[in-house]
Amino acid sequence: MANTESEHTVNTENHAENNTKVVYAESQWQRLSPVAILYFGVSFIQGIIGQFIFIAPSLFIGYNAIKDNPWVGLPIAVGLLALLLSSAMLSFYFFQFRLNNNSIEIRSGVLSKKYVNLPFSRIQNVKIEQPIYYRAMGFACLTLDTAGSRKQEAKVVALELVFAEQLKQKIMGQHTEATAQSSKSADNKSIVAPVNNEEQIINTRSIKDLVIHGITSNRIWIFLGVLAPFYESLSQYAGDFLQRLGLNLDKLFDPSTHSIMQLSLYALSITMMLMLILSLFSIFGAIMTFYGFTLSKVEDRYIRRSGLFTKHEVSMRLSRLQTIAHKRDWLDMLLGRVNLLFEQSNAQISAMGNGIAANTTDKIIVPSVTTDEALNLTFDVYPENTLHDINFIAISKRFLIRYIGALCVPIYLAVVTLFVILEIYSLILPSTGAFIFACVLIFMRWKRWGFAIDNKYLYIRKGIFGVDHFVFPIFKIQQTVLAQSKFMERRQLCSIRFILASGAVNVPFIDEMQGRALINRSLYEVETSGRSWM
Amino acid sequence: MTDVTAETNPQVFDADLPDISEIQMQPLEASYGATNFKIGLTLTILFVLILSFVKLQPWFDWHETLRLGLTLGAVAVTIICVFFTGYKKIADPLKYYALREYDLSFQSGWIFRKKVTQPITRIQHIELKRGPIERKVGLATLQVFSAGGALHTFEIPGLALSKAQKLRQYILQHKDTVTDG
Repeated sequence: MANTESEHTVNTENHAENNTKVVYAESQWQRLSPVAILYFGVSFIQGIIGQFIFIAPSLFIGYNAIKDNPWVGLPIAVGLLALLLSSAMLSFYFFQFRLNNNSIEIRSGVLSKKYVNLPFSRIQNVKIEQPIYYRAMGFACLTLDTAGSRKQEAKVVALELVFAEQLKQKIMGQHTEATAQSSKSADNKSIVAPVNNEEQIINTRSIKDLVIHGITSNRIWIFLGVLAPFYESLSQYAGDFLQRLGLNLDKLFDPSTHSIMQLSLYALSITMMLMLILSLFSIFGAIMTFYGFTLSKVEDRYIRRSGLFTKHEVSMRLSRLQTIAHKRDWLDMLLGRVNLLFEQSNAQISAMGNGIAANTTDKIIVPSVTTDEALNLTFDVYPENTLHDINFIAISKRFLIRYIGALCVPIYLAVVTLFVILEIYSLILPSTGAFIFACVLIFMRWKRWGFAIDNKYLYIRKGIFGVDHFVFPIFKIQQTVLAQSKFMERRQLCSIRFILASGAVNVPFIDEMQGRALINRSLYEVETSGRSWM
Repeated sequence: MTDVTAETNPQVFDADLPDISEIQMQPLEASYGATNFKIGLTLTILFVLILSFVKLQPWFDWHETLRLGLTLGAVAVTIICVFFTGYKKIADPLKYYALREYDLSFQSGWIFRKKVTQPITRIQHIELKRGPIERKVGLATLQVFSAGGALHTFEIPGLALSKAQKLRQYILQHKDTVTDG
């Protein structure tokens, strides 16, 4: 929607005088507090850093020129600074928003104009973000998400924290009203209620937890890093092994290149040391993102707050929640920790569109809680769930036959035959190792995979070395898929898949009767419950 | 959390629920498979013609290895084309759809069969898609979008236009259809 800016800017002339500090007049175009210039400046710099890859070559070429005659650098620096300032000022100047009773309109953009009109009832999620440079002055950014695409997102970049909170309450309040009217379900108790009743904190994370989270969320690097001291002997072994490969390699590699190989192995071990340092970064990253983590609850809303430098706040209405995931990798299993995820709709799409940042802000993640805490939190959200003592139904052993018997074994045999024909016997052992490893992976996958159902919820268990559990209310299902190949039909097996707004979950190789019953049951629940999925 | 095997299947299901395997499935229009076959055949012939033209044309002399590669490539492409056309010839008539009071189903596949079911109450919006060839033969594809995302768009191809419009109308007027998404 392109709109002509010039006619409207006249309105905003008079807003400066009658706009007191906190009370933003309604139904009038207004600008942000000048503090926003700072924000636009910072995001301009971030943008430049983001584009650094493209600028880097020219900088590199320019560097020598600047070194030769340093006076050239000054105008460039001044020019950049002027560009930064003017871009920040212009962005500030052209950013206007208007509040109506139940919608917010935002106009922004210097060169390409953008106009967004968001009715409060369409807003799915309100996030308050406080960059470190805003904190002293008590300002905050307000991000408004809709259920639709990422393009529909709106960000009001400088509001006084108090006002941002008020606005959030207002939007959420409006929203409760809207959904309460549209949904016919009687069990929706949360109609309009006083907004500022106290929050109840239901989980916090200590630094120790965050260190654990940092380590567990970066395990592959750790593993490689721990191996670092052994690289010398490993390289020795690898060298010997290559020697034993025989004449072919000797012909290929001149003896003088041996030192180069050694050098490259040194380079490898240095890389691995870097990996170790990277895992330290991962710990630091975990602390940065989750410092001062609190998960609290007001009525039917869950709010996550955390952040060392930039404070994030994500709030999610219970009705928006689609799936609860308990994720555990092998390191989490060893340490007895669980990453608890509250997933809402479109998490996947926005993650694809906007990188990792979107991914972490759209879900509520409770990092590295203990198993009991995870179960308690799940219990708090879905009081009737029985994850703690439900019996999972395992998938069929045919899964092993399909993936080991019909996939791994033929490939392995073909490869080995090839090596025998080519008389490269030394490669048979490594390929056997790879084959066994693949078989172990498939076996573990089979062992972990299972499902369960009770009166209200579906439970899926999967994983390889770790175990993930997924819990979701049956009525949240968007679509079902029943798949069956000719071979499965003969064994009376089938695979099923449930598509949820938060993503798809599948259960392969289960009894055909059970699969059909699961789907019949789910469809019945979705179609007769009359409950909205959001 | 212990495992139970299929033998000790606990009774959590209700046998009286409507069964998706008992839905009366309806075939797509016959012209859908026929059109697909024609398209496949045309493309295959076109590929073969182009590749043999490139190989046999008298003005340019290909390098020895390149000529071999070209021949192999041409054979591979032809086999793939013939395979796909043949597969579609068998699989297209095996596509079915059905409309129940509260959901839509679509079944497809020959060796790997699958049946997708979309409850009407979870539909966010509907589109009728008609490409140039579909318009020519009077067919339409019904696309149904849910909150499951673009990857899981429910699609019924090969519907006669009037039938597709009727389906669309039925869904739009269904009491479960939510308008505000």
